[in-house]
Amino acid sequence: MTPALSISHLRKVYRSGTVAVEDISLTIPEGEFFGFLGPNGAGKSTTIHCITGVAEPSSGKIEIFGIDAVKNYREARRLVGLCPQEFNVDPFANARQIVDWMGGYFGMGAKQRKERTDYLIERFDLVPHQKKQFRELSGGLKRRVVLARALINDPKLIILDEPTAGVDVELRRVLWRYLAEINKDGRTILLTSHYLEEVERLCRHVAIVSKGRVVREGTKDEIAGSPGGLENAYLIATGAEPDHVAGQ
Amino acid sequence: MWRGNKMNQTMGINWIGLYTMVRREAARMARIPIQAFIAPWISALLFIFIFGSVVGGRISQIGGHRYLEFVLPGVLMLNIVNAAFIQASTAIYFSRFIKFVEEMLVAPLSYVEMIVGSLSVVVLRSTITGIGILLMGIGFGATHIESWPMFLFWIVSVSTVFGLLGLIVGLWSKSFEQLNMPVVFLLTPLSMVGGVFNTIAMLPAKLQWLAYANPFFYFINGIRGAMIGYDEAPQGLGIGLTLGLLVVLGVTAWRLYAKGYGLRE
Repeated sequence: MTPALSISHLRKVYRSGTVAVEDISLTIPEGEFFGFLGPNGAGKSTTIHCITGVAEPSSGKIEIFGIDAVKNYREARRLVGLCPQEFNVDPFANARQIVDWMGGYFGMGAKQRKERTDYLIERFDLVPHQKKQFRELSGGLKRRVVLARALINDPKLIILDEPTAGVDVELRRVLWRYLAEINKDGRTILLTSHYLEEVERLCRHVAIVSKGRVVREGTKDEIAGSPGGLENAYLIATGAEPDHVAGQ
Repeated sequence: MWRGNKMNQTMGINWIGLYTMVRREAARMARIPIQAFIAPWISALLFIFIFGSVVGGRISQIGGHRYLEFVLPGVLMLNIVNAAFIQASTAIYFSRFIKFVEEMLVAPLSYVEMIVGSLSVVVLRSTITGIGILLMGIGFGATHIESWPMFLFWIVSVSTVFGLLGLIVGLWSKSFEQLNMPVVFLLTPLSMVGGVFNTIAMLPAKLQWLAYANPFFYFINGIRGAMIGYDEAPQGLGIGLTLGLLVVLGVTAWRLYAKGYGLRE
């Protein structure tokens, strides 16, 4: 079966000479809920940027459902939805426009776009805020708009780069329920998060990256099942000192 | 199980994506009507009134045309050049600065579609600006169109040339200061001395070659020929120059987009 995402020896060096990704290889089967963990600067966001076309890989190969994400980028991007870490949004556009325009970029017709936008606006409790400019929204509402935008094309592969950073508990739970639901419906999800509780709750498979390399990968049960749980495994894998070691 | 979205699955031209780019920029223009339209219209009105009507009343006819009729095509071209360049450069720069250009980068849009979408908006803005100025000209009894096909050719082709230049500058610029440099040092001076207000014969003989070496002269000469039938250089030369610039700038813009220059990390 063709994997949803296959990354082979990805390397990314910025023009400044900074090596953001040293060598990352990953295979994510279709339907997986995959946690992509690592400290700040480990190369998670850069890897995501290379998958989605925001950054150009220096070398390596990325395939989305078997389609080369660089050579056949248009076909590949049609299958992906990205919720980025930063708010890369026109601050003067309103919430509804932001979601609708994204559907337009994906080639969705007006009727289909309206139906899908209505659904997402309602699903993320944005109805009272849909005509407000993005800059007028609170941090949590902005996050909801960016999530709705990522899902407008009903993507097969959903990439969420710290989607719950800075959002309240209520939205976090709404989002968790929604993600679990769409994953059950067959969508593949790649999630990065600094909330290990979130990863433990949602993901079935986990990769930990550090200094641009995958340093540990396995099922969540394997990794979280080791002594000290996922947090301990994460700290060991990334070279940090677990509490019980530091305290000795 | 995932059933697949119902969007157009073929990999032909993404017409809806292109149309969305136009809709989006039209919405942005609607948010800044003073900057986009009112300012160039007031500027054009002042040029027409002062140079065409007040000063022009004291100048004898040029090639059998009132001075106002001679000036109007140049004023029109001046504003079209500015509208095209500013629209293209600020739109791409602003989207880079705020990073919402990433919305297009992650979407199934080809580089050609991104460029064509931007240029469609450029032509739209230039056309609206131009229509306003033509209406002012009608108010002063100075608007004539000798050849509609050539008139449209000059509006669309010159808008596209400066739209492409604006895209390139917008990709290159790293600050608003850099974004304004071509307007201050290139567009305004060259268009002012490109024959908006004077014929080449009015220039000192030793300086006439400067006008012939100025590409703006051929754009102004072209639209003046299309509007009042008066020209000082062969139209074919201007058409050739414009088409050549379209090819060179078009290929340059496409290469920059394809390389991700200023767009991708």
